[in-house]
Amino acid sequence: MFKLAWRNIWRNKGRSSITIAAVMFCVIFAVVLRSFQVGVWEHMVGDIVANNFGYLQVHQKGFWGDQSLDLSMDEAAIDWAAMENVPGVRSLVPRLESFSLVSTGENNRGSLVLGIHPEEELSGLRLTDQLIDGRLFTPASNEVVVSEGLAEYLHVAVGDSLMFLGQGYRGASAYGQFMVAGIAKISNPELNKQLVVLPLETAQWMYNAMGLLTTVVVDLEPNADFAEVKASLEPLLGADFELLDWEQLFPELVQTIEADMAGGQIFVTILYFIISFVLLGTVIMMVSEREREFGILVSIGMRKTTLAAVTVLENLMLLLGGAVVGMAAVKPVQFYFKYNPIDLSGQMKEAIEQFDFEPKLYTTTSFIINLNHGAIVFVIGLLVSSYAVWKIMKLNPVKSMRA
Amino acid sequence: MSKPVIEVKNLEKVYEGAVPVKAVNGISLTITQGEFTALKGPSGCGKTTLLNMLGGLDQPTSGSIAIGGVDITTLSENALIDFRLRNIGFVFQAYNLIPVLSAQENVSFIMLLQNRPKEEREARARQLLEAVGLEGKEDKRPGQLSGGQQQRVAVARALASKPQFVLADEPTANLDSQSTANLLDIMERLNKEEGMTFVFATHDDRVIKKARRIISIEDGKVLSDD
Repeated sequence: MFKLAWRNIWRNKGRSSITIAAVMFCVIFAVVLRSFQVGVWEHMVGDIVANNFGYLQVHQKGFWGDQSLDLSMDEAAIDWAAMENVPGVRSLVPRLESFSLVSTGENNRGSLVLGIHPEEELSGLRLTDQLIDGRLFTPASNEVVVSEGLAEYLHVAVGDSLMFLGQGYRGASAYGQFMVAGIAKISNPELNKQLVVLPLETAQWMYNAMGLLTTVVVDLEPNADFAEVKASLEPLLGADFELLDWEQLFPELVQTIEADMAGGQIFVTILYFIISFVLLGTVIMMVSEREREFGILVSIGMRKTTLAAVTVLENLMLLLGGAVVGMAAVKPVQFYFKYNPIDLSGQMKEAIEQFDFEPKLYTTTSFIINLNHGAIVFVIGLLVSSYAVWKIMKLNPVKSMRA
Repeated sequence: MSKPVIEVKNLEKVYEGAVPVKAVNGISLTITQGEFTALKGPSGCGKTTLLNMLGGLDQPTSGSIAIGGVDITTLSENALIDFRLRNIGFVFQAYNLIPVLSAQENVSFIMLLQNRPKEEREARARQLLEAVGLEGKEDKRPGQLSGGQQQRVAVARALASKPQFVLADEPTANLDSQSTANLLDIMERLNKEEGMTFVFATHDDRVIKKARRIISIEDGKVLSDD
């Protein structure tokens, strides 16, 4: 039966080639489309979440909603050792974050002030790679690193002084004068416009919050499942704390991703409709060309179910061939654009930047996308093959042999 | 006396339509083992319809067809297909070989459907192709053979399943004189030497002259049976 199916594939090379090519290009287009979509979000989530905010954050209960320093937590109340021993946790990153008016005397802007230990930070805030001018602040000093966008806005350079004025812990005044030690380009556009980074102890001192933290970021091991780690960490935290994952921290980001994915799905669905009709056309042609032969085979004693199985086997081989070639052929494209993203320009760039997204199109190299779309096209092909099965099952050998 | 292979009683076939057409009108006949019989008559007389019903390819409107004692009009579709596979050989006017299979594979194919062992299939296919004078052509595909050669492959295929009888519908219609003579000689020899029963539907005089029994059909009825 396999031999018969295999030879039938090659009896009409043109039709078989069209079928294989249709399946292959459908898989390629669907995977490219989805890879860019997923890749852009993957990069964005990676940038915002993995590099800057972390997949999991611990706060005093209610902090994330109020963003108030009064909802800071005591460093000593956290069982650091127990949490660090949870599988999947690479390290715990302490932060104190608040807002302050930052002024040069001539210009000022409300800014996000972040007290950190750079050497313990996530890669996006370690600052060593991000500095474009100057140097990193020295520990516990009155030095700050200013984000590139904020430095441009305030017209400050390395060595200049900045005045901070804000509200500290439990209504205390928070102010101070700091020297700009360095200027850093933060990859996240929103942060790059408003971030000032200073030593954790300096921030605690300025905000009258000695020994207090607003946030402990849970840095995960590569490939660790944040949901599993979260489930393991929750019992270690008391009722006064909240442990939020990135989807809870950025629900609007999740919604945007879901909306965008749904939009992309519409395009892919249209593509699937087109390929369905292309495949149906080839199956109808095949059945029409071979109706007489089907009649002969049934006449001489081949059961219709066996004949249908041979026909499905033929289609299965064609579809599998097209899908596998498509899945493999698109792989270099995925890799190329992952490491060489397309730089958007003009109106599209401006539109993207309005949403504080990086105006670059990345692809993902996740093979799951290839497998998913290869499998979907394969299943579509099998469903389309049911036309041939239906025709065979209702075949009348005498009429078919007259065809 | 030879045992009956086909027993037909009061067979009728009506094609429904605006004006119903009675293609077979109350035919009864018996074909015994080893016959070399021709159903003759003009086009549209009902001989092909009768042949199709004898082969279980078409269902009668009424009447019965017993083959080897089995009334095939009562069989389910799958049972009928299996019955055809094991009991009836077909030779069609247009050869109707499977174009992607070689001559040997076309002959073997029917034995494959019967789940016979590979060695047996290959040996019998070679033997049958030799019997129809096609030794050396085993690997040729239908497109590489002449019409006469293709029809000889079709005869070999019809015999491959070791059927009770072979039905041949206008087997010489597409053949030249020489090919027709060769084919008829082969079938006559198989009939005489192996006792294979042949039933032809034909209006070719060359076939009719070879037949030992001639059943004339007109307007769906048996006109004469000599």
